[in-house]
Amino acid sequence: MSSPTQAQEALLARAERPDALLDGVLVVRWCVVVWLAVLLTSGLAGVPRPPLGWVALGLAGGWTLWLTLARPRWGTPSLVVDAVVCGLLLVVAAVAPAVATVYPVAAALTWGARRGLRGGAVAGALLGAVFVVAHVVVGTATSLPVDGRPDGTMLAVLGNAFSLVLAGAGVGLLSTLLQRSAAALAVAQADRLRSREQAARLAERDEVSRAVHDSALQVLAMVHKRGRELARQERVEPQQVAALAELAAEQERALRDLVLSPVGPQPTAVGALTPLRPRLEQAARRLTGDLQVEVSTVGDLDLPAPVVAGLGAAVDQALGNVLRHAGTPRAWLFAERDGEEVLLSVRDDGRGFVLDEAALVAAGRLGLLQSIRGRVEQLGGRLDVDTAPGRGTELQLRVPAPTTTPGDEHGARD
Amino acid sequence: MGPVTEQDAPTARVRVVVVDDHPMWRDGVRADLERDGRFLVVAEAGDVAGAVRVVTAHRPDLVLMDLNLPGGSGSEAIAEVMATLPRTRVLVLSASAEQADVLAAVKAGAAGYLLKSSTGETLLAAAHQVVAGEPVFSPSLAALVLGEFRRVAAGGGATEVTGLTERETEILRYVAKGYAYKDVAERLVISVRTVQNHVQNILRKLQLGSRYELMRFAMDRGLDQEG
Repeated sequence: MSSPTQAQEALLARAERPDALLDGVLVVRWCVVVWLAVLLTSGLAGVPRPPLGWVALGLAGGWTLWLTLARPRWGTPSLVVDAVVCGLLLVVAAVAPAVATVYPVAAALTWGARRGLRGGAVAGALLGAVFVVAHVVVGTATSLPVDGRPDGTMLAVLGNAFSLVLAGAGVGLLSTLLQRSAAALAVAQADRLRSREQAARLAERDEVSRAVHDSALQVLAMVHKRGRELARQERVEPQQVAALAELAAEQERALRDLVLSPVGPQPTAVGALTPLRPRLEQAARRLTGDLQVEVSTVGDLDLPAPVVAGLGAAVDQALGNVLRHAGTPRAWLFAERDGEEVLLSVRDDGRGFVLDEAALVAAGRLGLLQSIRGRVEQLGGRLDVDTAPGRGTELQLRVPAPTTTPGDEHGARD
Repeated sequence: MGPVTEQDAPTARVRVVVVDDHPMWRDGVRADLERDGRFLVVAEAGDVAGAVRVVTAHRPDLVLMDLNLPGGSGSEAIAEVMATLPRTRVLVLSASAEQADVLAAVKAGAAGYLLKSSTGETLLAAAHQVVAGEPVFSPSLAALVLGEFRRVAAGGGATEVTGLTERETEILRYVAKGYAYKDVAERLVISVRTVQNHVQNILRKLQLGSRYELMRFAMDRGLDQEG
């Protein structure tokens, strides 16, 4: 994976200068050619030296026609030819003013569109220089000041030359800016794509690590604890050891499945409603013998299967936490519907703790709380922790659960 | 059914009848109670009819009642007993009774409900509590009762007399989460006595509500039969 700056550079290098500008310039060329033809045929503006005018029209028209038909990719050769053609036209213009001074602007524009600010400016300056030099040469050769106003003529020539530079530089700047913004857009899009991919990957890893945290770590902790207890006993019943082994084997299978499945734990069927209570009872039963868990629910609480799965996993984790840290043999699970939410409480009367994230990180316990929080937040809910040293701990999980039917869920009917 | 083992100790000992269809279980409970020294098991029974007979004959202070009995449900026995001896305290001890059965027992007049898996200590404490007139609300019972009030409220059957106040709901929720009365009192900054009063009111409302419902049911039936 390349770093963002490298990617940005690569994209900038690859980004084409926008072709729309060049198409626009071609249109300008045709307009100028048509205007030239109108001027020559109508005899307007008292065009001097018409034969040279026809040469200019032939040159400009032919070149424009070729550009239109061949659609060159505007590499260096066509750019140079364009500059030469326009240079020739400028020489003609020096001899026969008002005939071909406009067309060469197209060359400056093309250089700008193709080669950016600097290319446009340089091409414009060169053409301008050709124009000025041609004027000076033609002027001295014929010693005939155009319009009888030599000062005015030279000023107009310089003005024309300068506008060639301006046109090339202006379009060059525009082209560069367009190219940059196109590249920036591409980079931003690539970034967004990448960050979305990354988020998905992170979420997946989160899910997997939660699943591992959940069951595997829990069972490891239990095997550890029970193993030590058994080791202290004088007589060990074979089935006690077998039960431990079975627990470990079950987790081994689960882990193997997890590793082999491409997207982590599969969600259960979507749409179906599942009662929450049996899942809570299952969570409580898992720890029988180590922790006495009393389950009380107001009704059965039918919820979408993924919600039940998520809450069940969170409860497994929370109870494992109680077993390991609370130092009490008792815990309570309580769940009820509260409007459009389901409230699930995991409580123990154990030693509690100071809800200080730094201390929890140090004790290696924050991860677990965050993992539970992650599950709850994935369901669109939130986790509240109510604890204090010596006062037990209550985790309150609230998740949205829109009511499907008005009235109440399965209240026991007598 | 079991042999009547009346003993001549009429003093301060609490007189108990144990109703359960498993003799071994009865023996265990009797042992637990008598070890405490403040209880005296005056009789045992193993089915509904036997329970009613024994209780009416001995008028005990406390009945420990199983719900799954041959010949009917324990709540039927409770209802019959309460009809004639309304001052009898009944504590239900049930293995994994259906929620509906437990609720029926409490509506019929049971003052408490314990799981059979509860420890001997819990049982003794609960027995004392019930005899002292305090209902024993296990967390599951609290949740069950909460659900029942919700059901009645949703059906439009709640009145000021039979509906729960906000405070009562709050207390039930705490109990359902396993908080002891003293923890509830501490959290709500009220006395333990007040918590107990609230719980008693809750039970009374439940029983009152169920009687009201029964009455309405009977009236509906009566009207149906007329038409």
